[in-house]
Amino acid sequence: MKGIKIILLFCLLSATAKTVAQDTTSSLLSILEKEMEQQKDVTIYTTATFKTTRLINGHSLENVGKGVLDVKISHRFGNISEGGYELFGLDKASMRMGFDYGLTKNIMIGVGRSTFQKTYDGFIKIKILHQSRGKKNMPITLSYVPTIALKTIHFEDPKVNNHFSSRLSYSHQIIVGRKFSDKTSLQLMPVFIHQNLVTLAAESNDIFAIGIGGRQKITKRISFNVEYYYVLPGTKLNGTSNSLSVGFDIETGGHVFQLHFTNSQGMNERTFIADTKGRWDKGDIYFGFNISRVFSIGKKH
Amino acid sequence: MFKRPIILLFTLILFSSNASAPALYSVSSGSITFSSDAPLELVRASSNQLKGIFDAEKKQFAFSVNINSFKGFNSQLQQEHFNENYLESNKFPRASFEGKIIEDVDLKKNGYYNIRAKGNLTVHGVTQERIIKCELIIKNNIVSVKSNFTVLLADHNITIPKVVHEKLASEIKVEVKADLIDK
Repeated sequence: MKGIKIILLFCLLSATAKTVAQDTTSSLLSILEKEMEQQKDVTIYTTATFKTTRLINGHSLENVGKGVLDVKISHRFGNISEGGYELFGLDKASMRMGFDYGLTKNIMIGVGRSTFQKTYDGFIKIKILHQSRGKKNMPITLSYVPTIALKTIHFEDPKVNNHFSSRLSYSHQIIVGRKFSDKTSLQLMPVFIHQNLVTLAAESNDIFAIGIGGRQKITKRISFNVEYYYVLPGTKLNGTSNSLSVGFDIETGGHVFQLHFTNSQGMNERTFIADTKGRWDKGDIYFGFNISRVFSIGKKH
Repeated sequence: MFKRPIILLFTLILFSSNASAPALYSVSSGSITFSSDAPLELVRASSNQLKGIFDAEKKQFAFSVNINSFKGFNSQLQQEHFNENYLESNKFPRASFEGKIIEDVDLKKNGYYNIRAKGNLTVHGVTQERIIKCELIIKNNIVSVKSNFTVLLADHNITIPKVVHEKLASEIKVEVKADLIDK
């Protein structure tokens, strides 16, 4: 009899199990999507942390895609405080044109030329860690950006013995950042700059700075950006101040327009981090813009 | 003496009840492709991560796909914009279609069926009731589904900025193919 009881109980259980199963089939979608959520075999990489590869003056942690050419035309105008005669600085434009190219998903290179001190610059940006969730969980993105810049403006005193190496400067930057939400992204940028020649013997050739920057999206296609580089006091050059920039990114299809106000006139790492002469509190504010246009050269994605 | 036949009887009931359980099928391989054919640009992308369940007894079904699994765009930036600006895949990670087959046919037999599926199509968080025509081929416990339909972006609250009007169609063609096997 004991055996029968067990079997009876089993039948009863299987019958209830069956009705439960039938109840849930009334929402097949919820069963399906629950299964999909539990699926852990794919890694989803975070994209669009920033709209383009520059935050304002400096690099963002964003790379261009593999086989993508990004043509960047940037302008910084004169000092706004110069008033109506100079049309608030618009009469004095300084520009940089740049060409960035994605070698792989994680490595991009770029070259540029600025009118400011007739400088050529080049960089590599290597994405070492990529924020992701799913199979591989990574809370941050980390990139390394070494740059080199070559001033080609005539030496101040051509009569003395000038060295080619005096024209060169280097920077090494780590960018650590995270897309916190669809709208908010933040990044920290410790940077080391070395310039072969400084004006005064008392000045340091090596400059350390820490940058902080972020973006807050206002609409789907417009974001508000802030970028600040704090130069460590012991290494700061005479008469320079920290670079602070605020601006907007406006994205339209393949273009990104960046409009901003900054106290820096240079557009490569050495000039805007180490050699910013303007001060916000004195009204030394420069209006500027970057235009980015991407061209896909490589195959489909 | 009594014990044996009773056990037999219950075992029989147990097994027979299992045999009449609803025939659930699930997608073993499925793909979904969409294309936007606009004057200046053809955008095409597809995902092979289509998932689905089909109850042949009740003729009910549910299909779902992760938006960020679509690939094949003209550029990486386009894929980024698709996820970030248009489909907002962080907010609305999936598109789905669930409902019931209208026709009164016995889908447990092998054969070729032209059917209409009526249900809720959810894209970009907006649900629309749709009737979608499908071809079904049932052969040896494998159900093959094929369907072509269109989706109006405006129906799902997906807005196109004026500057890309010439590059994106307002009506998107969708093609679905899936093989389902016994779950």
